[in-house]
Amino acid sequence: MTDLSCDGLDVRIAGINVVDNLELKLEPGQFWGLLGPNGIGKTTLLKCLSGISEPAAGRVLLEKRDISELPRRLLARHVGMLQQHTVYVFDSRVLQTALTGRHPHLGYWDREGPEDLQKAVDALQAVGLEGFSERSVTGLSGGEARRLAFATLLVQEPDILLLDEPTNHLDLRHQVQIMKMIREQTRECGRTALAALHDINLAARFCSHILMLFGDGEWCAGPGEDMLDESSLERLYRCPVEQVQSRNGPRYYPAG
Amino acid sequence: MMPTAHRRLLFISLVILSLAGIAMATASGSVILEWKQWLMALSSPQSEHGELVWRLRMPRALAAWTVGALLSLSGCLMQVLLRNPLADPYILGVSGGASFATLLGMTLGVAAGMLPALAWTGSLVSIVIVFSLARGEGPWSGTRLLLTGVVTASGWAALISLLLTLGPDGSLRGMLFWLIGDLSYARVPIWAVTTLALIFVVCLGMARSLNVLAMGETTARLLGEPTQKLLWLVYLLASILTATAVSIAGNIGFVGLIVPHLMRLLVGSDHRTLLPAAALFGGLFLVLSDTLARTVLAPRQLPVGVVTALLGVPLFLLLLNRAKVRQ
Repeated sequence: MTDLSCDGLDVRIAGINVVDNLELKLEPGQFWGLLGPNGIGKTTLLKCLSGISEPAAGRVLLEKRDISELPRRLLARHVGMLQQHTVYVFDSRVLQTALTGRHPHLGYWDREGPEDLQKAVDALQAVGLEGFSERSVTGLSGGEARRLAFATLLVQEPDILLLDEPTNHLDLRHQVQIMKMIREQTRECGRTALAALHDINLAARFCSHILMLFGDGEWCAGPGEDMLDESSLERLYRCPVEQVQSRNGPRYYPAG
Repeated sequence: MMPTAHRRLLFISLVILSLAGIAMATASGSVILEWKQWLMALSSPQSEHGELVWRLRMPRALAAWTVGALLSLSGCLMQVLLRNPLADPYILGVSGGASFATLLGMTLGVAAGMLPALAWTGSLVSIVIVFSLARGEGPWSGTRLLLTGVVTASGWAALISLLLTLGPDGSLRGMLFWLIGDLSYARVPIWAVTTLALIFVVCLGMARSLNVLAMGETTARLLGEPTQKLLWLVYLLASILTATAVSIAGNIGFVGLIVPHLMRLLVGSDHRTLLPAAALFGGLFLVLSDTLARTVLAPRQLPVGVVTALLGVPLFLLLLNRAKVRQ
């Protein structure tokens, strides 16, 4: 398995440096939660890490190689991203869409083989979309489309999973289910995940590490238990936060 | 997903139907050949009927098939390129340039044999204009390409209206037929068939990439496609297909919009099935339309562009309605 690191990375939105000189190493087995208020550059950072956007300065390294110099097809076998929104303009079947995850693994004239098909079927089952194979993607609900996009990412089998608000549109059960699956990917398959999240408690419960973006260029990163406390969250969200002790550890709520 | 056996059956049926369509086209017209007469004519090209079949009807039927396939393939590509189901082969102004050049040639009394070359030149000028203006400095932008293309097309349309207004009355009818799309004088040059075959093979090779591209540029990049190169390649291929079709038969409307949609409804959106199905069906559809155009009011001939729309609209609405019911 591979690791992804940032070397002096600057992320800029509309001329403002929202992330300054980020030094970060994502290692196999780690599940990072990316926290920060709206519009702070979480998505832009994920895009830089996936090679979709160019950072304002610095480099993103896969192992020791600059990802901007890697062929896209090769990069896509190692780094995958769940986008915040998925819009399907053209109709397609659910299974066919999940199979697009195999695209970077196949040559020009290759067709998907039985193994690829099995991977797609398994992934659909994992996200609870078994029996949806021949349904049309334009008819899916928001949450179903979200789970299909995640299944496609599983089918892609990247070493590094970048997830932009993976729990968007999902009900309580599916939120927990998808977070469990991401954790399983990191713990059992030795992959690495970095997920932008707005739910601090999902982050507290599932993430091994936390990266916080404050918006003025400052950031801090480290193991989850060291990072999450009332004062840092209050500073992060500019909102009073109350810590409540649950059976499974501390949980955080807006105070008042 | 379509099982391989179904795909094969579909392609074989479309090939057989295409051949049958071409055969029927060569048998019908103002002189209708019984099928024995038709066989005789086929075997003796020197006879009166043989001349009719081999020298007049066959080239025209083959031209119709080729143009139909060119336009349908181009339509499929344009729709993916612009991620817009309303895109057709003419949307980016390729045919506008061709029309202007051809009509200018007609006004100036250029020999009919030179018109296809003029049409090609006009298309090329339009392709180069749109390509260089839309490319700009930054990354690919579908919106910018669409706007550049649509505005360029409007510019050509204005110039065409000007020519129609100023042109001599005697050539107006010919101009109008050309603008609607007409196969009366169409021949199928070998380079057009070669272009179709070559681009078809290239498209089949990148069919899976097109599937991914249809899901959006960012998604395609995340799945490993170098989209910048791919999108410009698709633009160029689609434009060349359109230019080739237009130079043979003028602006035959509707085929390039409707056939890709019809095939999406019938075979789904996997381009590995969709592209061959659309090309084959597009050819068949235009052969049948042209046969109708020659026979409905025989001995008068209609421009085939009128028939494609008159046939295509109800066929499309019917299938769309059935697809809705099924869902």
